[in-house]
Amino acid sequence: MTSSGFPGCQSAPAVPAHMAKSMSLLWGAGSPPCWRVMITLEEKRLQGYKRKLLSFQKGEHKSQEVLEVNPRGQLPAFRHGDVVVNESTAACLYLENRFQSQGNRLIPDSPAEQALVFQRMMEGLTLTDRLNSVIYYDLLVPEEERHDSALKRSKETLSTELQLWEGYLQNVAAGSYLAGPFSLADVVVYPNVAFAFRFGLSAGRFPKLAKYYSLLKERPSIKASWPPQWMSSRQGYDVLKDL
Amino acid sequence: MAAKSMTLLWGSGSCPCWRAMIALEEKNLQGYNHKLLSFDKMEHKSQQVLDINPRGQLPTFKHGDTVVNESYAICLYLESHFKSQGNQLIPDGPEEQALMYQRMFEGLTFYEKLGSVIYYDWYVPEGERHDSALKRNKDGLVVELGLWEGYLSKGSGSFLAGKSFSLADVVVFPTVAFLFRFGLSAGRYPKLEEYYALLKDRPSIKASWPPHWLEGPEEELLLKDI
Repeated sequence: MTSSGFPGCQSAPAVPAHMAKSMSLLWGAGSPPCWRVMITLEEKRLQGYKRKLLSFQKGEHKSQEVLEVNPRGQLPAFRHGDVVVNESTAACLYLENRFQSQGNRLIPDSPAEQALVFQRMMEGLTLTDRLNSVIYYDLLVPEEERHDSALKRSKETLSTELQLWEGYLQNVAAGSYLAGPFSLADVVVYPNVAFAFRFGLSAGRFPKLAKYYSLLKERPSIKASWPPQWMSSRQGYDVLKDL
Repeated sequence: MAAKSMTLLWGSGSCPCWRAMIALEEKNLQGYNHKLLSFDKMEHKSQQVLDINPRGQLPTFKHGDTVVNESYAICLYLESHFKSQGNQLIPDGPEEQALMYQRMFEGLTFYEKLGSVIYYDWYVPEGERHDSALKRNKDGLVVELGLWEGYLSKGSGSFLAGKSFSLADVVVFPTVAFLFRFGLSAGRYPKLEEYYALLKDRPSIKASWPPHWLEGPEEELLLKDI
């Protein structure tokens, strides 16, 4: 199997076809957590897993089919044979540890490098929360509890957060991402960054994030798992355009 | 010794700090340098913290030149770096490992739901508070508690990932301890109470118990009715 020529991709020994076939993913489009797991499966050369696209809008994430795998009624809901791993970061960590020597290494060997991967990965979950608190404000907060002051504060917090990431990516270049070579930190964080630009984040005001976004847009695992409806329509909403 | 090149900046009564301290104890890294800071005096926003953690948050941790912020990152780092020392915190079996990772990340939701009730006034300015919001948060916490009560009832062992103490317990136990500290009813949540009783005297947990819980006033029992 030859390398795609993309920096960091290695050729891998042939993977038993049944390995991926015993995996199934219930997912929803436009969900960064679902996207993380799909990127990981691609990176670990586990294409061929079974997957089913469900609709959040139709409430399918609360269907019996999901509840049987994930009593929280949340996506992604992932199974590998008898092993269930819900929670996107958990599924990513499980897959990287289980298939460490296959596909691309997503956690480096040296503890010092691991420290940065783990830290940025966890910080990525804070970024997710802060994005959600702005983008989904009306979904999360009932009308009678909404305050302009609260949304304003959430936007300021998000803006500060994005500036932190802009700083982390000062030296972003091909092959040099959140913790050096592409890693679990990027798996967790990239979907959020793509999400932010989808919702109108200004590339002019966040040039390093924009560079990170466009560099990794072409990575095979990311391209292969790009949210389908993002491809078919133009830019969606612009709730983040003034940040 | 490795511990002597480690420094932890921490605050008492912080679940995230407690997680890191339990992990350090479990990996036999007692003797690490540490500094207790006061959240009330805003010491978490002081320069000494910002120099290591630009977020101005605790725990903040350094091992030699390696900085590791974020409690889960500290725990994952310590287990990886000191795998063969102290207690093994990530099980070998794929099923237990998967369950451990899942419970760890569910633990973040558990902690958020707890915080949305006990820290409601800290997070939400007075002009934005609503009884309906706090009630909704309490209802959410009750649903969450039901889930964990179920996990502990149906599990294959006494710990969150099965038969062995793991990183899932390291990160979630502090949340459980906080629940009882704030008045959660043991009668209504017997499995959580059993789990709490099982672990509260574990050496790593006893050694890192929040100091101000050992003396000083009780908290307001915000959870006694849920």
